[in-house]
Amino acid sequence: MTRETKGKETCTNAKAVPDATPKGILVPLKTTLETRARGSLLDVYVTSVPVKQASGALEVIRRLLPGDGGVDLQHLRRFAKARDVPDAVREAFERARVEVLGATELLLIVGSTNAISSAVVAEELSVIVNDAVIFSIQVPRLAPTSQEQATLWSSQYWPTVYKKSNPFGPHPSIVSRTEQEIHGEVGKWMDLASEVARQADGTGSGETVGVVIVERKNGIGHPVAVAGDARWVGWPSKGAGNVTAHAALRAIAMVADGVKATSESAQTFNAVSASVTQPEFKADPADQDHFDLSGTVAGYLCHDLEIYCTHEPCVMCSMAILHSRFGKVIFQYRMPKTGGMCADGDLGHGLFWRKELNWTLLAWQWIRSSNGQSFELADFHA
Amino acid sequence: MREALAMAELALSTNETPVGCIFVHQNTIIGRGMNATNASYNGTRHAEFIAISDIFSSTDPEGKKKYGSKVLKECDLYVTVEPCIMCASLLRQFGIRRVFFGAGNEKFGGCGGVLNVHVANGATELQGEGGDGEDGAEKGGERKRHEDDYEVSGGWLREEAILLLRRFYVQENGRAPEPRRRGKEERVVKMDVEPLVEGKKKGG
Repeated sequence: MTRETKGKETCTNAKAVPDATPKGILVPLKTTLETRARGSLLDVYVTSVPVKQASGALEVIRRLLPGDGGVDLQHLRRFAKARDVPDAVREAFERARVEVLGATELLLIVGSTNAISSAVVAEELSVIVNDAVIFSIQVPRLAPTSQEQATLWSSQYWPTVYKKSNPFGPHPSIVSRTEQEIHGEVGKWMDLASEVARQADGTGSGETVGVVIVERKNGIGHPVAVAGDARWVGWPSKGAGNVTAHAALRAIAMVADGVKATSESAQTFNAVSASVTQPEFKADPADQDHFDLSGTVAGYLCHDLEIYCTHEPCVMCSMAILHSRFGKVIFQYRMPKTGGMCADGDLGHGLFWRKELNWTLLAWQWIRSSNGQSFELADFHA
Repeated sequence: MREALAMAELALSTNETPVGCIFVHQNTIIGRGMNATNASYNGTRHAEFIAISDIFSSTDPEGKKKYGSKVLKECDLYVTVEPCIMCASLLRQFGIRRVFFGAGNEKFGGCGGVLNVHVANGATELQGEGGDGEDGAEKGGERKRHEDDYEVSGGWLREEAILLLRRFYVQENGRAPEPRRRGKEERVVKMDVEPLVEGKKKGG
């Protein structure tokens, strides 16, 4: 899971590279759903119904288990003919009834075995079907992500439908289109974030963590805030330090306060050094009169802005990025023990894309291909 | 909790999401906060952050900081709504001792609602089935205590906290981004609060 970047490398031949923008590749993060429970199975009850009673039986079930008891079965055919189900399902049926399924009968998925008992189902169905046979089989819990998978599952478990989308994360075409848009600039913003990270470390302000927030207009990115970690400013340099002074939170506060650097790097760097020494705690977060609301894309928080981080943000900062409605997050170093974005780290939160949260964004790890300088990684919260 | 609710009332009166909190250290309130996301244009200015700023910026008459960096390790937080994932992580990293909250937070909650940041930083136990793999919110039982884990207890003056939120949400939040707004025009405050289902209550 941890990639490259163990130990310190030194910057060797920076001058030999003609193009100053460092190259690298963007690796889209996997969502929690993409990484977890992919092959997992669900036990469901299945019953047989005569074709003519099929809709009546389904009605009974819908009434009995509204919304299928909270289990999504949209990727499975609800009814199946005997010849369309795998042998295992037919055998399970025959074990339950000691009789072959008739040609005028359909098999029907009742629902998750956790949601209801077979006795209740049999009783409710008795108005439609006499002595309904109810047995349980295993079906894929989640929708397939390719036609091949759907075909395989149909032959193994139950007729399964592929719906040409990615129900577990951002649509692949959106991800690749966005990569096209940003990939030429990622190295530049990551260099700036690294620079401010080194400043934070060099001045003793904080850990070697830096963040750049970029606004994209007509395809061109402009930095709107640059911040280094400042957890040790005014704090004893041990323990967690001032948790509210993590780089991402500081950068978000700068956008909010209307601190806008222009795309000219000189001015950007002035803003950087000014901000690193700026004390974090203000008596009052007032003083927003100069904040130009129309300056951000939608005039709401950091709506659809891009945030470039040297390190995967901690759980707090990851959620702060969601609360601020960012559109994209790109970081260089994974933080497997403390990071909130990756779904395949130790914590497994995958906060950038979770259906239950009211905001999702696109997320990438950027892997630098040139021999740049890398930071020594520790287990702190970035 | 009454003091926290008073902060939430204050937030409501200034057009902020009505969430309020207080930090208590040795039986004394040392910090108060209320949600300030609208006034600050900053979606991270939740009550907990405001209160912590309050604590660490307060000075004695000689201008020296009143509280050391470790004071939160001896503090209990009383907050009207379950801390969100961000705040739950903030509290964890500062080493909070205990959290009492009113209403649960199924949308963003970091102390049982969505994640359990207070236990093992919300790490998902990969072994075992663990329900849907969606929320592991109510598995209860004993778990190994990890460093920086903190006690959480919910449901305190929950009805009042919920009614405050409802009063807010019938108002229009003019700054909410366009796609998230729908059908607020006809909303009225429902006055009855469904009782907490047993087993939903977050134990310490």
